[in-house]
Amino acid sequence: MEYVSPEGLRLDGRRPMEMRQIRAEIGAVSKADGSAIFEMGNTKVIAAVYGPREVQNRNQQISSHALVRCEYSMANFSTGDRMRKPKGDRRSTEISLVIRQTMEACILTHLLPRSQIDIYVQVLQADGGTRSACINAATLALADAGIPMRDLVTSCSAGYLNSTPLLDLNYVEDSAGGPDVTLGILPKLDKVTLLQMDSKLPIDILENVMQLAIEGCKAIANYIREVLLENTKQLEYRRGV
Amino acid sequence: METKSTSSFTNLVDQSVCPGDVVLDLSKMINQTIKLGGGLRQDCDAISVMKAGRLRFSKPHKYWVENSQKRYVPYAEDSVLGIVVDSRSDNFLVDIKGPTLAFLPVLAFEGGTRRNIPRFEIGTLIYVRVIKANPGMNPELSCTDASGKAAEFGALKDGYMFECTTGQSRMLLSSPTCPVLDALGKKLSFEIAVGLNGRVWVDAASPHTTIVVANAIMNSETLSGAQQRIMVEKLLQRIQ
Repeated sequence: MEYVSPEGLRLDGRRPMEMRQIRAEIGAVSKADGSAIFEMGNTKVIAAVYGPREVQNRNQQISSHALVRCEYSMANFSTGDRMRKPKGDRRSTEISLVIRQTMEACILTHLLPRSQIDIYVQVLQADGGTRSACINAATLALADAGIPMRDLVTSCSAGYLNSTPLLDLNYVEDSAGGPDVTLGILPKLDKVTLLQMDSKLPIDILENVMQLAIEGCKAIANYIREVLLENTKQLEYRRGV
Repeated sequence: METKSTSSFTNLVDQSVCPGDVVLDLSKMINQTIKLGGGLRQDCDAISVMKAGRLRFSKPHKYWVENSQKRYVPYAEDSVLGIVVDSRSDNFLVDIKGPTLAFLPVLAFEGGTRRNIPRFEIGTLIYVRVIKANPGMNPELSCTDASGKAAEFGALKDGYMFECTTGQSRMLLSSPTCPVLDALGKKLSFEIAVGLNGRVWVDAASPHTTIVVANAIMNSETLSGAQQRIMVEKLLQRIQ
């Protein structure tokens, strides 16, 4: 199958180095301490953060830093075929772990000892790049909850199909069986917090694909920053100390 | 060199900042003292932001990030509204919307001795003062002011308690009086206790008045002073 046309267009009409349209909204869940909706094209994710709060299970309490818990799930209606097991399967458990480790790299957990931070992420609509969208949504939700962070974590995927590096893969490109690199970075600190790859890729091509993913992450970071600053402008009316 | 570094900080004062933003390079500063408040941290030679909000400055050299959130980070000398969740032999466990439960010693009351220990049922709402807030331990509370008098602290009977953001609670406690409270106070009589932890308690002669006051305060969060006054007028017109 031809994923990139001779004119250099992908199946959905994008250029190889073009991202899908992104949209974010803060404060989607009123009862949560922090929440956000993040959309990348047809992929739509909602994240809710609760905490820092008292640890519910005393056996899990850590005296030196906060306990970060994460739960990833996909809504039954998120894919074309209705999902039978939206959470608790191996894939969900693995993605939960990935998100938790990525977020722990940016949260200043030592400032909140003996407390717990819960991150709940649900995919409402899946069209490739759910992992990246979840990390971006979780970052926004954590910032909304006022949890101290080293930097904003942003994530983006990139792949290599028809001898062309592609940015931000959709479901069709993702399931083509080619290499798929998911990258998470701290843009201001220039540090990588997540790097996963399916399939194999020569090292010189990997560098090109990674560079493409880094540029995507930085573009998302700029957008997330704008959303946060816009949200903060509401403080203009508050004359707090 | 000194003026250059100070001006770089001044450029960001009252501006919105995000986690990771570097607001000051300490390597360029010579013989200067600065005090960092909430939302800022020192990372080697840089002062960076760790919470999204607005960078604020107070003379001579205090900087902090003002933000609004639903959870509360305890600080000493803050007045907060707590809910008693458990009682032990020597202290009460109080929920103040913080990362951990707070301790209220049974002797931390005016004239508190072993003979006159107060009885608080679980679920009692109390207005207290944070006296210790160290990261490694549970916050400690007191029902007395700095001079040891009960003042306004203690259990709050009747009334209605609702939750708001920490930013709004600061707005309600700001000076001069917050426009929404100013406008309500001219027409209605009510009693209010605002905790810096984002809890507000309202009590009035009639439930009707209590509901109006609570709704007006909840609606006022993202409104300017003028908008708050208009909103209160509209609310009062409806009930007259």
